Amino acid sequence: MTTHAPILDTQKAKSEQPKNYLNCSSGFWSWAGTLDHKRIGIMYLIGTGLAFLAGGLFALLVRLHLWEPNGMLFTNDQYNEIFTLHGAFMVFLFVIPAIPGSLGNMILPLMLGAKDVALPRLNLLSFYLWVMGAVLAALAIVLGGFDTGWTFYAPYSLYTNKAVVTIGLGIFLLGFSSIFTGLNFIVTTHKLRAPGLTWFRMPLFVWALYATALLQVLATPVLGITVLLVAFERLYHIGIFDPRLGGDPVLFEHFFWFYSHPAVYIMVLPAFGIISELVSVHSRKPLFGYKLIAFSSLAIAIISFLVWGHHMFTSGQSTYAMFAFSFLTFFVAIPTAIKEFSWVATIWKGSIALNSPMLYTLAFLIIFAIGGLTGVILGALNVDLHLHDTYFVVAHFHYVMMGSIALAFFAGLHHWWPKMFGVMYNETLAKIACVTIFVGFNVTFLPQFEMGSQGMPRRYATYVPEFQPYHSASTVGAIILGSGVALMVSYLVASLFIGKKAMQNQWGGVTLDWLTPTPPPLENFAHAPKVTTEVYDYSTLDLKSTQTPIG
Amino acid sequence: MSHDGHHSVVIPAPGPEFVPHTVAHHFDTPVQEFQSAKLGFWLFLATEILLFGGLFAAYFYYHDLYPETFRVGGQQLDWKLGAVNTSVLLLSSWTMAMGVRSAQTSQKQKTMLFCALTVLGAVIFMVIKFFEYKAKTEHGLFVFPHMFDNYQVDGSSNAGSLAWFTDVHNVMVDETGAPLLHGHLFFAIYVTMTAIHGLHVIIGAGLILWIMKGVAKGRFHAGYYLPVDLVGLYWHLVDLIWIFLFPLLYLVP
Amino acid sequence: MLAQLIQDPAKAAAALSRAPKPELDAYGQLPKLASTFDHVDGLFYFTYAVCIFFFVLILGVLLFSVVKYRRKTFDQPPASNTTHNTPLEVVWTVIPLIIVMVMFAWGFKGCLDMTTVPQAASQNTYKATAMQWNWTFTYPNHPVKSSGAVWLEVDKPAQFLLESEDVLHAFYIPSMRVKRDVVPGRYQTVWFTPTQCGEFHLFCAEYCGEQHSQMYAKVHVVTAEEFAKAPWNTFDDSTPALAAKSGENIYKALCSACHTVNGQSVLAPSWGGDKGLFTKKDGNVVGRARQVVENGQAKTVVADEAYIRESIRMPLAKLAADFAAKANMNAFGPDKLSDRELNAVIEYMKSLAQ
Ligand code: HEA
Ligand code: HEA
Ligand code: HEC
Ligand code: CUA
Ligand SMILES: [Cu+2]
Repeated sequence: MTTHAPILDTQKAKSEQPKNYLNCSSGFWSWAGTLDHKRIGIMYLIGTGLAFLAGGLFALLVRLHLWEPNGMLFTNDQYNEIFTLHGAFMVFLFVIPAIPGSLGNMILPLMLGAKDVALPRLNLLSFYLWVMGAVLAALAIVLGGFDTGWTFYAPYSLYTNKAVVTIGLGIFLLGFSSIFTGLNFIVTTHKLRAPGLTWFRMPLFVWALYATALLQVLATPVLGITVLLVAFERLYHIGIFDPRLGGDPVLFEHFFWFYSHPAVYIMVLPAFGIISELVSVHSRKPLFGYKLIAFSSLAIAIISFLVWGHHMFTSGQSTYAMFAFSFLTFFVAIPTAIKEFSWVATIWKGSIALNSPMLYTLAFLIIFAIGGLTGVILGALNVDLHLHDTYFVVAHFHYVMMGSIALAFFAGLHHWWPKMFGVMYNETLAKIACVTIFVGFNVTFLPQFEMGSQGMPRRYATYVPEFQPYHSASTVGAIILGSGVALMVSYLVASLFIGKKAMQNQWGGVTLDWLTPTPPPLENFAHAPKVTTEVYDYSTLDLKSTQTPIG
Repeated sequence: MSHDGHHSVVIPAPGPEFVPHTVAHHFDTPVQEFQSAKLGFWLFLATEILLFGGLFAAYFYYHDLYPETFRVGGQQLDWKLGAVNTSVLLLSSWTMAMGVRSAQTSQKQKTMLFCALTVLGAVIFMVIKFFEYKAKTEHGLFVFPHMFDNYQVDGSSNAGSLAWFTDVHNVMVDETGAPLLHGHLFFAIYVTMTAIHGLHVIIGAGLILWIMKGVAKGRFHAGYYLPVDLVGLYWHLVDLIWIFLFPLLYLVP
Repeated sequence: MLAQLIQDPAKAAAALSRAPKPELDAYGQLPKLASTFDHVDGLFYFTYAVCIFFFVLILGVLLFSVVKYRRKTFDQPPASNTTHNTPLEVVWTVIPLIIVMVMFAWGFKGCLDMTTVPQAASQNTYKATAMQWNWTFTYPNHPVKSSGAVWLEVDKPAQFLLESEDVLHAFYIPSMRVKRDVVPGRYQTVWFTPTQCGEFHLFCAEYCGEQHSQMYAKVHVVTAEEFAKAPWNTFDDSTPALAAKSGENIYKALCSACHTVNGQSVLAPSWGGDKGLFTKKDGNVVGRARQVVENGQAKTVVADEAYIRESIRMPLAKLAADFAAKANMNAFGPDKLSDRELNAVIEYMKSLAQ
């Protein structure tokens, strides 16, 4: 904090070149020790982005290996480690922290008209906990890897002689990183809203992050204690999960999913928030059903605590438990359906600009409908007894996690990139990349629905030959998908060096984040913002301040 | 207010032995700062409770499965020592509350005194805990003697006899003298819960010592006592968790 | 194949189309194979149809909007600024609600049918024992087991009692639409009626470590006559010769994973060959001398029936010297190998004597 004062003084001295948060100070420690939410957001972006690329690399290895029924590249053991690494990296290092950590950190205070998050030191701590978690994950690879699947099911995770304790500790730290981010956002939303910014004038991205934060704070501790117990079990054999010692492995599953089901909404709610913003801005139309969307986020957050048992329909629950879990699972689909329909209704009769963020948004809407609806199929009790732990499930969650969340993340990245860095990427390349990713994604995962419903189990290093056509198609798709991602990374990075200068309000948004200079200065606003209009009121938009492209 | 320029809000010190407090740059008012920190801390306490919630869930689950084991296990613990420890913690909660109160009224000496008493309570608690662990170890119930032995689980004959929790003197038996099903489980859960709780006691004591350093420097006074308040809350939580642990473990229902 | 695809796509496509077709059950293409079919497939089709309906609806609206309401001028306002339409919102809340409640009820009903075991099935109970990484089956009313394959009678309801020796596994026969986790320390059951003869896959569907994907068994659904002739079903120790034959079946099911009978001792001592357990001396079959390690002491013993019985019931007591360091044979107690079966195995070992 103390570093801020002198910087602002120099700002007055060199007023000809406006200072922003990127160029206000330089040197390693000005980043590594920063308390500025925007710089922390950038560091998260780099970190989680690298984790995604690493996870994607593992995914490509998985897919290449599965080109042939007997496996092309690895031994069974190596394959098991690779798919575990893929799942663990994607879930714990990428998809949970990515949107809140990078875009959330960057945009939430801007949208609230605040100078920073409420607890900047805690924010930096969150980031370093993430880094330590990542380091432990890397260490675990060096110490012999881990081959438990991302679910760490006992008792296998207790017996395998791999580095389970190390990665467990890493996940513990990552859990607290996530908790602290959520806690910070709740406090910030409650206490740092600009004057006039009532709850129902808050942009929906803020609502979404708020609902996410509730889940992060309330669900993640259970993950923490679960991985601790696994570590204790391995170190001193308590017997809580070890059937040889009177423990019950199904209890582990309950503990794990009590966290990990809400966790899927920790992942997806921020994505919903991004999509809500983007459909509105790029259709230049107030959101249809604003309040319902806001409340449905809260409804999802609450119901999602009560459905974890749908991951365990085959584990031998009582009929009553199955009844309740299945019933509630269907219930959670309703608020989500409301959201989906409201987004579509927002686009209907809008003034639609088909630029790259909007393309990603449309891709999201299409893919999420498939991903969500296949989730509903899995919620049906008897159908799940057949489909559980097959590639149908794999396809379902890739449709929601890669096809929806990662794509929403890309959409948000393209949307706020000009705000974050003050430069624009190459739109043509962006559109090509988006289409490539969309096509590659569907070629990768549509065949997986089919082979899953024919009984191809997941986590298989080898498989019976009749599934080969599907696996091969999926591998081809993954290669297309990978090249789309590689293209996207390249033009985004290139834009930092050769990108055109961006407008202050690149797309014509009316939330507070677009009122800041581009890129924003250290404390965000030149003048303390006051909110006097309703949210998404485009009649207030000053068209001259934007360069909104035509369709 | 301070949005436009960069002049910070400062809370003046009530007297020469105190120092003023500068409100963090991104807050407009001291109240905003106070409320933010307080809300954040309550949320943090909620996560702590949920963390223990997992352990309590495991406790109830196995209590349900092996009630005899838990009853006999509970009898092995010395409820008198547990009761003493409970009173020590309750008392220390009171001294902590008094410490916070004195900080709020700018009474430096009293704050120091009460904080010191609270730390003393923590020390007594941990010493008693140490002797309890030691006694259990000597009874051959768990942990230390076998800590580094090889893990041996022989599925058929002797499930449950494993390095850390070997029941050397066969105390986990029912009325007829037959060994109880999974007799080690009670002690495994007992150690896990009390050790994690003990860790919290140590962290709490450390935080109070840190508070005392600040008090000595005069950083906390009627105008600014936020950290004292928060550490006080933390200490009450540590106390509260023990209030649940004591009856569940020592007076097994 | 990847290279082939690039060089000669036509040929690669042909190769792909020649790849074995799913002999199993593509939805709706093959006749129903088990009683459980109706429960699962009907609902699957229904939900599938619902999904396609909503998907097409959403896609249609999106495409239409993007074409029709594309922003053509820089300041084009939206065609409408409506933000509420209560009837519409009620409709899109209530209709999905009704649909999902139908799915729920249907699914629950099906699940109840699939988990309530009828009398006929419980009288025809198999036991499936899962361990890393194979399946062993015990048949109703028969002393013999098989591993890696199981035989079922067509049109006869069957129940499987599932037990695990180590970690989680899952018993999954896709063609029969049955799946249940095999949880150590718990017993679970599944039942179904196979309605068509054929060979089907049994997969392990819960990740269980290195060879999870190879934890496979073949399910043979056969007619009643064939069933009676199945190898495991011929246990008969009325004469030594028949006993040896039955012993061979047991060997194939339980022991051949490690032991050979041709004299090659790779994973475990071979039972046959010139170092086999028994040899012929003056027309009599007698045990050979064995080098063993007992309590760390090297010893020589005679491989008589007592020694062999001990080696099976308590393998760790005397370890074959060559394998003392890597001995990994599990004890086969009377629950896994009855005394009669054990005698039959010994009879088989004797028949290998040279
Ligand atoms: C972000 C991730 C995410 C999201 C959002 C979801 C969303 C949903 N998921 Fe998914 N799920 C996962 C990630 C996710 N899931 C993962 C990772 C696994 C596997 C974990 C593992 O085992 O490794 C899994 C597994 C999984 C299972 C267990 C399968 C099994 O292992 O046997 C089930 C079962 O009920 C399920 C159901 C659902 C449902 C009902 C939703 C709903 O929330 C979906 C709601 C959305 C819609 C309904 C679509 C939009 C609405 C419309 C288009 C309107 C029309 C709607 C209706 C008519 C209802 N999921
Ligand atoms: C957010 C979560 C997420 C994401 C985004 C993905 C993305 C992908 N996943 Fe994965 N996946 C999981 C979460 C995720 N996955 C989980 C939780 C599991 C379960 C694990 C378990 O069972 O325990 C799983 C399992 C899983 C399986 C099943 C393995 C098995 O059961 O045996 C498969 C198989 O096809 C797969 C494939 C893919 C593919 C092809 C992608 C693609 O979408 C990836 C696309 C990205 C790339 C291809 C990166 C391209 C870029 C580069 C290579 C670098 C270029 C470098 C520079 C320019 C610097 N995943
Ligand atoms: C997992 C592998 C494995 C399986 C399955 C197995 N064995 Fe063994 N067996 C061994 C090994 C290794 C040894 C050598 C070490 C020892 O003596 O215990 C052995 C030794 C023996 C011996 C003593 C042989 C000698 O040369 O002294 C007998 C007899 C025997 N097994 C019988 C059986 C029978 C009968 C079965 C099936 C019912 C069986 N084994 C299944 C691994 C196996
Ligand atoms: Cu057994 Cu997987
Ligand atoms: Cu779930």
